[in-house]
Amino acid sequence: MRPAEVIPQPAAFAVDRVLGWAAGCGVLVGIALLPQLLPGYLNLGIALLVLVGWATAWDVLGGWTGQVSLGHAAFVGLGAYTLGLGANTYRMPPWVSAPVAVLLAVGLAWAWGRVTFRLRGPYFTLSTIAVAEILRLGAINERWLTGGGEGIFVRELARPLGLDLFDRHVQYYWALLYAACAVALVAYLAPRRFGYQMRAVREDEEAAQAAGVDPVAVKLRAFMLSAGLVAFGGVLYGAYLSALVPHALFDLRLSVQIALTAIIGGRGTVWGPAVGAVLIVLAAELFRNLFASANLLIYGLLIVLVVLFAPRGIVGQWERWRVRRRYARSVAGR
Amino acid sequence: MEALVAFAQNLAGGLLIGGVYALIGVGLSLVFGVMRVINFAHGEFVAVGMYLTLLLYGYWGLDPYLCLLVAAPFGYGLGLLLERLVLSRLIDAPPDSTLLATLGIALVVSNTLHLLFGGEPRSLYVGYATATVRLGPVTLSVPLLIAGAGTLALIGALVLFLSRSEAGRAIRATAQNRVGAELVGIDTLAHHRLTFGLGTALSVVVGVVLIPLLFVTPAVGGTYTLKAFVVTVLGGLGNLAGAVAGGMLLGVVEVLGASYLAAGYRDAYGLVAFLAVLLFRPQGLFGRAVRRV
Repeated sequence: MRPAEVIPQPAAFAVDRVLGWAAGCGVLVGIALLPQLLPGYLNLGIALLVLVGWATAWDVLGGWTGQVSLGHAAFVGLGAYTLGLGANTYRMPPWVSAPVAVLLAVGLAWAWGRVTFRLRGPYFTLSTIAVAEILRLGAINERWLTGGGEGIFVRELARPLGLDLFDRHVQYYWALLYAACAVALVAYLAPRRFGYQMRAVREDEEAAQAAGVDPVAVKLRAFMLSAGLVAFGGVLYGAYLSALVPHALFDLRLSVQIALTAIIGGRGTVWGPAVGAVLIVLAAELFRNLFASANLLIYGLLIVLVVLFAPRGIVGQWERWRVRRRYARSVAGR
Repeated sequence: MEALVAFAQNLAGGLLIGGVYALIGVGLSLVFGVMRVINFAHGEFVAVGMYLTLLLYGYWGLDPYLCLLVAAPFGYGLGLLLERLVLSRLIDAPPDSTLLATLGIALVVSNTLHLLFGGEPRSLYVGYATATVRLGPVTLSVPLLIAGAGTLALIGALVLFLSRSEAGRAIRATAQNRVGAELVGIDTLAHHRLTFGLGTALSVVVGVVLIPLLFVTPAVGGTYTLKAFVVTVLGGLGNLAGAVAGGMLLGVVEVLGASYLAAGYRDAYGLVAFLAVLLFRPQGLFGRAVRRV
């Protein structure tokens, strides 16, 4: 045993932490000031933050509770269409249509989950695709409600607190608030009772049941929470797009994007979905000219690489590496 | 009388298109039955077959049906390659990792097709694409008839291969019990590869058969993947004979639903049936209840 040389050095560790905090604060200031610093990247910033929110919300069900859904675009569409139809048809101000959208999504998730949560693993995933596709076909065919395949155009929105919701700056901070709330909510839930219940259900439903956790109730609550959060992001996305078409909003490809973002970043981690979103959006921007409209190529390549070489996702793998290193040090230092 | 003729016409059309669906479903079902892989890339290989035929026809004027001679080995090779590079590394991984890996493959394939051929719909015109034969009052499309006959022949050959040949026996053993198969000396990895190659070749062949009839875009694969899922779940996952019946059923349900109910919901009828079977009869419409571990 050679204890003297491997004992961790507290001083160096503290420097690490200070540097970490400084970097974190720098990133936060950068994010908050992006509209001023890089006005040309405002649209990219909004898209990125909305994806962070969606992926984080998806992860409540897909990562923490382990129920991989490929149908979450339905909630995006529901949110966006509630905003658009509310404003156009019923003169509903956005601060009313947003809660309505969230409630509708929660209700839809409840009914959807009641029916399909008896399916497990890949079968549940297949059922989510089917439900979302049926809803998409509904959005295309029920012209009286949704305007059909051509969709609807959000002409005007009431101004909450005098803010113009079509203004990209307002949308940016709205999206920032949304993404931050989603991540904060997950960070809040993770170490609490519900967080442990979700993980217990993910790891082993029978064992969870034996320990007094009702798996169906936990899955339903996770689905409702996830759906409500995604729908709120959908409301925001509706204002961002303002031209709402079912092909973009209810599309399987959008569901796949949301799910893969979270999985690539790291399922069941607080920061994984956000990291995944940043990585993918930046990579897509970098290769935009090269790949043009084949934008899902990056998702495909990354997910194959992640499944093969980092099955826990980027953040998950990093956390595991850190835990192992800490353990190795503690063992070596004893 | 006229209504009856229309009904017969619809039924015949549904059965014919159902034959093509059956062929897509059989490949998916085979891969699932043997490898327990839910293959999201299955439909993309149909699109690959369609573009391959376009290329061969465009450069050498090769007749689509002659393209089969090139397309089937090509699909088989593509399947072997993907199994070797990706799926063989995931044999003992959790079940959703193969699902995600094939989803990734699907995205890579469809977007690569997009880069190579652009997003516009393409089609191939051959004289006999619109040829029909009349059977009493009912008109039947010749290419679909050929496709249906080809489907039956291929599925027959597949069933013979699986039930009579040594490799087929080994594949069935692998499907039933991988460890047991290994204990009696079967190289299960090699048979996984063979199975995935066969499944991919079947879907590429479907693409070749369909291109004289339909447009192709790079995004079309997803539609076929969904159809294949519906067909296999209707027939029972892993049940080849069930997949044939499931395909016919889907074709008929779609055509009848589109003509007698709302046409815009054509794709929805199959999905509703899919959900109902998944929820209430997970062994498929025709299978016996088997508890799988």
